[in-house]
Amino acid sequence: MSRYTPPEQSKAGQVFDIAVVVVAIFVALWLPLKLGLAGAAKSIDALDAKTWEALGQNPTMASIWEKLGYTPETAHDIIQNRFHYFIDWPTLIIMAAVLIGYFIFLFRASDREYRDVINEKFDDK
Amino acid sequence: MWTVLSYASWGISIVLALWMLYDWFKIDTTFSEEVLTSSREGELEAVSEKHRI
Amino acid sequence: MTIALEPAVHGDKVSLLRVLGPAHVWALGVGIVLVGEFTGWNFAADKGGALAALIVCWVVGLLYTSVAMIDSEVTSTVAAAGGQYAQAKHIVGPLMAFNVALFLVFAYTMLEVSDAILLGDTIVAKAGVEGLNHNAFIAATIVTLAWLNYRGVLMTLNVNFVITAVAYVSIVILFFSVSPWTQGAVLKLNELVTPGNALPYGWIGVIAAFQFGIWYYLGIEGTTQAAEEVRSPARSLPYGTMAGMITLLIAAAMTWYVCASMMPWEYLGTTYYPLWDAAKLTGSPLLENLLFIATLLAALASANGCINDAARAWFSLGRDRYLPSWFAAVHPKYRTPYRSILFLLPIALAFAFIADLNQAITFSILSGVLQYTFMSINIMMFRKKWPLGSIRRGYTHPFHPLPAIVLFCLCVVTFFAIFLGFGSQLIAMVAFYFLISLWFHFYRYKFVRRGAQFTMPWPKPQGY
Repeated sequence: MSRYTPPEQSKAGQVFDIAVVVVAIFVALWLPLKLGLAGAAKSIDALDAKTWEALGQNPTMASIWEKLGYTPETAHDIIQNRFHYFIDWPTLIIMAAVLIGYFIFLFRASDREYRDVINEKFDDK
Repeated sequence: MWTVLSYASWGISIVLALWMLYDWFKIDTTFSEEVLTSSREGELEAVSEKHRI
Repeated sequence: MTIALEPAVHGDKVSLLRVLGPAHVWALGVGIVLVGEFTGWNFAADKGGALAALIVCWVVGLLYTSVAMIDSEVTSTVAAAGGQYAQAKHIVGPLMAFNVALFLVFAYTMLEVSDAILLGDTIVAKAGVEGLNHNAFIAATIVTLAWLNYRGVLMTLNVNFVITAVAYVSIVILFFSVSPWTQGAVLKLNELVTPGNALPYGWIGVIAAFQFGIWYYLGIEGTTQAAEEVRSPARSLPYGTMAGMITLLIAAAMTWYVCASMMPWEYLGTTYYPLWDAAKLTGSPLLENLLFIATLLAALASANGCINDAARAWFSLGRDRYLPSWFAAVHPKYRTPYRSILFLLPIALAFAFIADLNQAITFSILSGVLQYTFMSINIMMFRKKWPLGSIRRGYTHPFHPLPAIVLFCLCVVTFFAIFLGFGSQLIAMVAFYFLISLWFHFYRYKFVRRGAQFTMPWPKPQGY
């Protein structure tokens, strides 16, 4: 098998490639933040009676909250801020499909490239 | 005190960042690109790690 | 231990310097991870209650023990900067390697960002001064540590060893000063974790807690990045990694025990400073200040290790021309990948200024889990292409393929946990990796030399 000689990349090309990568990184990391996609579904289940008992805190817990500088009123929003887990099947299926598809693509394309590498490396000798 | 500390932090950041930029510039102009990028993967193994089965 | 920094251009070649020992490997691994005990793991309690945090501490501990075992075997054989990147390149193929390197760079850079934010916020919380902004401290952290990394790996990891050890000892001191052998005096575990509130969301909460359970140990696999700078990688890397893992399992257990016995889970799950708060609750100003300083040191050690690791991964990408070879430069005097360090510096700074702690942590975890998934498949392929005995391995992990299967299953569970909290973010991230992979496969790869990528002196893999 003949040896593959890669083209030399020009300076401008190198700079451009770096720019592509940087932009991609920022878009990938920043866009979800901007679109507000990040963060789980948490919401406050408000209670009317704001006492330690109503918030489900026993005397030991209550004394610790007080030591930390909280009253039942200020602790209410922390304690009652709960997750509401539910399985959103369409999203789960999309996620699974995206992940599996991604990994399959990775391994297949890698394998194709890998065979070239092995051929060139071991046929030279 | 904390406010002073915060200004000091900015100061340190700027000084060190400038020093690194200066050193970067100095190195890049002193040495050729061939020398700087002459590191190769696996080259050290050939010397330091005898490969036997 | 000093090494003269001779302006070393021996001949006309410069390379990274082989100066590190097993203690440095330990410091690099534990240093990156230990901050997780000071913040982050406790969000697992928020997701599923105090007991869930303990369960994931053990189960995720198992996941990471598998990671450490698998990693030790592969990396004691493929000892090159870039760690898992070089592994992927030799075992799976170039595109996989490119992705793995990106996982590494993202996981570490975002971890560094989280550390810097944590450090800034801790100082602001301690100061309690109106209008004090954390940006100055974030900038100082990131720039100073980048400078340290720029100046040489030995000093960087010596510093890491000392600050990691101090932070670790402070957890031990806190643990023994709350008389852990008696309940009721300081610790009130049975009153704080009751049958009624141990698992407030039931078992789905335990699954959801996996996401932040990762944070107990995330980054231990970073020890492999030092492979090209360790004096004897085949011995030091497995040794340092395993020792690090044991250290962390002990620290995680102590941290959970103290914190869960001192704070209601609702508070524990939302505070940013579980250990510092525990120290405050003991009422001892000495302990409080000790844990305040330890929190800062742990954050510093972690950010420091992250800069080291991310720069090595980026450097390796440049060296193989996966990215412009410009990044592959080694500083002739300090022998560090200085351009990679400088390039990643502004990126880390930018995200530290705009992201918040929770989000940065999630980005980091996502990239980490993608990488562990790869590792479980990687080890299978490694054993198949080069069966035991066909090449010299520095370390051979026991019970193969059990660790790989365990690791893979736990990764699937963690993906599900991330789905429960950050599903759309996961999809966005994977979409990014997918697109950049297309870019690499169809465009960028043409600049890469083919056979030269395979640098290990191994026989031809079986089946090719």
